[in-house]
Amino acid sequence: MIQTNTEMRSSVPLHLRLKHTAIAFALGAACLAAPTALQAQGAPTGPIEITTGTSPGGTPDVLMRRAAKILNEQKIITNPLVVQNRTGGSWMVAANFVMGKQGDRNVVLCIAQPILTTPITQGLPTLYDKLTPISMFIQGDLVLVVPESSPIKDMKQLVELAAKRERSVKVAGAQSGSTDHMVSGLVEKAGNVKLNYVPFDGGGAAQAAFLGGNVDFMTLTPGEALPLVKGGKARIIAILASERRTAPELKDIPTAKEQGYDVVWGQAWGLAGPPGLDAETVKFWDEAIAKLVANPEWQASLKENFLRSQMIPAAEVKPYMQKLHDEHLALLRDLGLAKQPAVQ
Amino acid sequence: MDALASLANGFAIAMTPTNLLFVLIGVTLGQLIGALPGIGPSAGMALLLPVTFGLDPVTALVMLSGIMYGGMYGGTLTSVLVNVPGEAASVMTAIDGNQLAKQGRAGQALAVAAIGSFLAGIGSVTALVFLTPALSSFALNFSAPEYFLLALLGITATASLGTGSALKAMIGATLGLMIALIGTDPIQGTSRLTFGSLDLLEGIDFLPVAIGVFGIAEILVSMEQTQSGQVVRTRLKDMWLTGKDWAECRMAIVRGGFIGLLIGLMPGAGPTVAALLAYVVEKKASRHPEKFGHGALDGVAASESANNSAAHGAMIPMLALGIPGSASTAVLLAALVLLGIRPGPMLLTEQADLVWGLIASMFIGNVILLIMNLPLAPLFASVLRIPYSYLVAGILIVSLVGAYAISLSLFNVGLTLVFGMVGYLMIRADIPRAPLVLAVVLAPMMESALRQSLMLSEGSGVIFVQRPLSAVLALLVIGSLCLPLLSFLLARRAARRAGVAEALSHSPD
Repeated sequence: MIQTNTEMRSSVPLHLRLKHTAIAFALGAACLAAPTALQAQGAPTGPIEITTGTSPGGTPDVLMRRAAKILNEQKIITNPLVVQNRTGGSWMVAANFVMGKQGDRNVVLCIAQPILTTPITQGLPTLYDKLTPISMFIQGDLVLVVPESSPIKDMKQLVELAAKRERSVKVAGAQSGSTDHMVSGLVEKAGNVKLNYVPFDGGGAAQAAFLGGNVDFMTLTPGEALPLVKGGKARIIAILASERRTAPELKDIPTAKEQGYDVVWGQAWGLAGPPGLDAETVKFWDEAIAKLVANPEWQASLKENFLRSQMIPAAEVKPYMQKLHDEHLALLRDLGLAKQPAVQ
Repeated sequence: MDALASLANGFAIAMTPTNLLFVLIGVTLGQLIGALPGIGPSAGMALLLPVTFGLDPVTALVMLSGIMYGGMYGGTLTSVLVNVPGEAASVMTAIDGNQLAKQGRAGQALAVAAIGSFLAGIGSVTALVFLTPALSSFALNFSAPEYFLLALLGITATASLGTGSALKAMIGATLGLMIALIGTDPIQGTSRLTFGSLDLLEGIDFLPVAIGVFGIAEILVSMEQTQSGQVVRTRLKDMWLTGKDWAECRMAIVRGGFIGLLIGLMPGAGPTVAALLAYVVEKKASRHPEKFGHGALDGVAASESANNSAAHGAMIPMLALGIPGSASTAVLLAALVLLGIRPGPMLLTEQADLVWGLIASMFIGNVILLIMNLPLAPLFASVLRIPYSYLVAGILIVSLVGAYAISLSLFNVGLTLVFGMVGYLMIRADIPRAPLVLAVVLAPMMESALRQSLMLSEGSGVIFVQRPLSAVLALLVIGSLCLPLLSFLLARRAARRAGVAEALSHSPD
């Protein structure tokens, strides 16, 4: 998945402390909001653009198209939703387009990891705190895999091998500063070792290098890793969640944390509005997304790909994004990739 | 025989009226999308992804893959007729195809492209039927060191691309390499030569360069010539392949198809690289290399066969391993995921009906495309009967709309115009333009593969000769550099001998 994987990688990691509140809120909001029509006086009129920074087919693009389709088909939002790809500048073209639409009710931006990381790695002003937060509502897990033929059976053996000689253990992954790269940095930190991170042109190319036996391990999503395991090509050594997942395919995979290494990282996507978006439009989106998250068709389509949909509503998304940003900044600084000065 | 039984089953699935209809829809859309510059097959497929949500997985996939290979046929059209590559993989077609069009032979160029694409397409789908497991594990033997050497082979071949001096061709290639340096460093992730511009952060896309130096530059040059009569005066019946044309192109199609399949297999290189390499190889193999760049029909045949064959070849690692060999197969994978099917090594056994239905549909789709393109070739070609002064406005519009469509930004439109001027200056300075475009395509692969290889080997250059495949490629690179030199020396020695012999025979007693 040359494109898909790149984008899969480039998405916002998630720490799951907010999980329970999110579920409670999502369910609550769904029950309360169900019968009321959203087309109150506060609703925007005319078509609404959902701007993404990936080329068509990238994960955030596909997720937004799927969401837009269900929102329109279920009449949750009656304004035509148009997903528009404004690629370039590692999402900065898309972000700047929305940043320039001060208070515009007919455009929203898909939030993915580069919205946080590109300003950090390129030394640009931050964006997440200037956009109007709406909601983060899609989450995904990550797993570490080794080739089936590898002698490594768990995190401990991996770290022990890496400790023998600096940079002798090779990791394949997507571009510098991607999720893969940050996970590799977290493993280095948790195991107090130095790895040899080899960036490829996207997750697909990295996966090809991995399957060709050129590297020792890599980071994948469960949706990518499980078919490889089934086909006898790879072995999962850890899931990077804070606790074990409950899905039958995932429940036997130990977390890195329970193996004694504090590597917890994930992916998340959501929406934000242009700066200065009015509260009524934010409420309109908040209610719509609550209904989307409660929609069985939406939930089923995400579950198939081992993604989850728990809503972090507008009221809570600001501190959440702040925390995510600080974590990214700290990690990227450890990796020597941050150009941005420390947050005050 | 197992494969044949599965294929028969696949045909039964693909021949249902609904699936046939969607194959037809897919290839027709592909043909159109391919012909429009800017929107390539992968973007077109992705835009139509939502349409497939309600469909049966087989139906959805046959339509999307129809767009993929339909685009390979369609891209030829604008390349040949107006020298604007409809999609990246047709860029080599533009070089000779447009020259042919200027000589009034657009019909032949389009016909041979259609036939070449068809034969190569059928050939690689047949390989897909019988050799998928073997070929997919072969594809995994290719990694960074092999990609580097492959790209190096392409770059060294640029010297032979120009019609004039090798030095001028190398100047063009160097310019291309320099353009490719702009953007984000592929390993460090730092910005490079972007001068703080966000538009340059992801580098300069290949399409504005190609549309500019080929299409726009051509228009600029034509405006210098004041004569109104650039109309190609040919009758429809003259626009057809002769027996001689066919004899010239037969082997080009076979070679192009084979190279295309091989390159398409590799997860790191797609139809564009395949077409480039096939063209270069064909020039070496051809009996009249001097015609290349001035309208060589076999050049068109080779690159068009290669790009279609590569588009199909990329399906092999995708179906067998879940690894895409091109941007288009990446979208196909996304479609599979959306349809609730997990791609991976088990796909062939778990989703046999889907896979074989898809493969069978590719046979059908290629037949439809041949039927669509062959009789229409003279008709499309007759567009060129429109006086050039009217046509030029249309070309300009198509080029600029295409440039805008790449990322919906005016920046690329400006970039296209700038490269139009660069192309114009290159024509005036008699520097061949193809090496520049070739270098822009190959440089990113060459750079990251070199650095990845050295990271994998912890700094040792031995990695380029240690692995069996890379050793073979390294030999080819050395060969391609030494052969011209050797043949030059041999020719000189032969000439000297002949000179001596002549001198002897003329010497008085």
